[in-house]
Amino acid sequence: MSRNQRLGLVALAVAAAVAAFVIVKPANNEDSQDTAKEAAGKTAKTPTGSDAATKPEQPSVQRIVIRGGKPVGGGRELRFRTGELARIEVSSDAPAELHLHGYDIDKEARPGKPAGFRFRAKAEGAFEIENHTAEDAGQDPLVARVVVGPS
Amino acid sequence: MIDFVVAHGLVARSDLPIPQWLFGWAAALVLVVSFVGLAVLWPEPKLEREWWRPLPRPLSRLVASRALDAACGAIGVGLLVLVVYSGLRGVQTSAANFAPTFVYVIFWLGLVLLSVLFGDVFKAFNPWRAIGRAVAFAARLASRGDLPAPLDYPPRLGRWPAALGLLLFAALELVVADGDKPQNVAIATLVYSALTFVAMALYGVEAWIARGEAFSVYFNLFSRIGPLERRGGELGLRQPLSGLAKLEPLPGTVALLAVMIGSVTFDGAAESPLWTGIAPDIATLFRDLGFSPAHALEAAFGLGLLAAVLLVFALYRLGVEGARSVGGGFSGERLAGAFVHSLVPIALAYVAAHYFTLLLFQGQALAFLVSDPLGDGSDLFGTAGRTIDYGLIGANATWYWQVGFVVAGHVAALTLAHDRALALYDDAKLGVRSQYWMLAVMVGFTSLALWLLSQANA
Repeated sequence: MSRNQRLGLVALAVAAAVAAFVIVKPANNEDSQDTAKEAAGKTAKTPTGSDAATKPEQPSVQRIVIRGGKPVGGGRELRFRTGELARIEVSSDAPAELHLHGYDIDKEARPGKPAGFRFRAKAEGAFEIENHTAEDAGQDPLVARVVVGPS
Repeated sequence: MIDFVVAHGLVARSDLPIPQWLFGWAAALVLVVSFVGLAVLWPEPKLEREWWRPLPRPLSRLVASRALDAACGAIGVGLLVLVVYSGLRGVQTSAANFAPTFVYVIFWLGLVLLSVLFGDVFKAFNPWRAIGRAVAFAARLASRGDLPAPLDYPPRLGRWPAALGLLLFAALELVVADGDKPQNVAIATLVYSALTFVAMALYGVEAWIARGEAFSVYFNLFSRIGPLERRGGELGLRQPLSGLAKLEPLPGTVALLAVMIGSVTFDGAAESPLWTGIAPDIATLFRDLGFSPAHALEAAFGLGLLAAVLLVFALYRLGVEGARSVGGGFSGERLAGAFVHSLVPIALAYVAAHYFTLLLFQGQALAFLVSDPLGDGSDLFGTAGRTIDYGLIGANATWYWQVGFVVAGHVAALTLAHDRALALYDDAKLGVRSQYWMLAVMVGFTSLALWLLSQANA
């Protein structure tokens, strides 16, 4: 194979890879938000999509219940879209010191008085909410995972 | 069922899994790159030939000067002392103490980056080498030159001690539940230091550094990827990757690479539903054997780590056996040694793709930890109030970097193996046929890397 043929082959492969990338990459604009909402499935209680821009923002509230130091239903994933105003309410049958990693928010839940987390989901990634009271008692501290991502 | 407690006390944030479409595209890209690579790579070996040019004299002299060597060694010793002191005397919260973040992030990950960019920097900063040399110097003075010569380093030992050392370090990080507790980090550092000094006393400082000391061997492997190399009293440039072509395939080198790739594999797989699904069952098995719940889970993780290392080893041996079957009259041992250097860029890709956000985010913790290494509220440099900016890089950019690292590592590995095949086989056709097998192995490793990235927290 000559040098030109090699270069041509490399150029062709690069072009094909770029084209394939553009084709398979989901468009990052408004029409993709509907699919994002479907993908989010269980957490799609929030009014999102094209209405969200016009109406005043309704923060999505996700609720966690702790019983006997453990989150009911296990440590679930709470999904938020990047930039969204996130609200999480944690109620507990015993006093619990809660910490949301990364965003570094500390809240305390008491029986009859749930802890309310409220923050702008700017940093992307997966962050854990931990129950330090449970941890001190030798239990698994995981309450929930806050997952912030693009759509 | 056993409560599933994951060890990482340091990690406040973890990456999102790469989306399915990107996973599919990247996997296809890897295949395209591989076949185009086979077609266009050069027909003559290029990386095996000698090419090294010294940098301009003043720079070269400065870098290779004894004064700088001594200063770097002193910094290394100071940091070793700080790790042990803060680990033993500081608060026992891993995120608030200097020792865990320094050892697992700045040292373990940061030095990989520095080694690739600037060459074998750890050799200069290595505290064990600095202390060993200082003690040897003092002993020579005291004994007026008639010190007994060190024992010959047994050739059969090769890089086995380094492989074992890295496996134990990975176990401390990934298997031991309290492996990130400051006190345990300090104790492990002390134990490792003691073993290193004994081995240095037996075999000589430089001999042990070159083959036995786990971290020297580890960072030196990565430094061979980069273009900077020190020779004698001078610093010079070489072709990137050509340092790997000179890697001697000593006994234990394949095991060392299997540990390097396997431990990252296990760290990634430990977050996958596959592992979180079976780990509690394995732990229950150990509990039935009489283990306490905590130790049963550690035993399960230890088994998982070993399984991942063996998987990597088996995958590589499979490629070697395949390459042997095409003919050429080489033994399996010979071929395994001849191509093992091509696994180093793959190991780097694994580390980079898996840990670069950890280095990027947790690395920022250094700013407040140096001001308050013990976590007792002191503020030595006025930076104790700093926090980690988790907005530094978004999920999209992270995914592209990760895929980029993996694909680049694949291309580098392919290039090295191709070059070696050209040098090894007299018959070019046999060389090419042996490469189909090596290519299959590399596609396997790269697909595994992509799969791991698509699994985390899924």
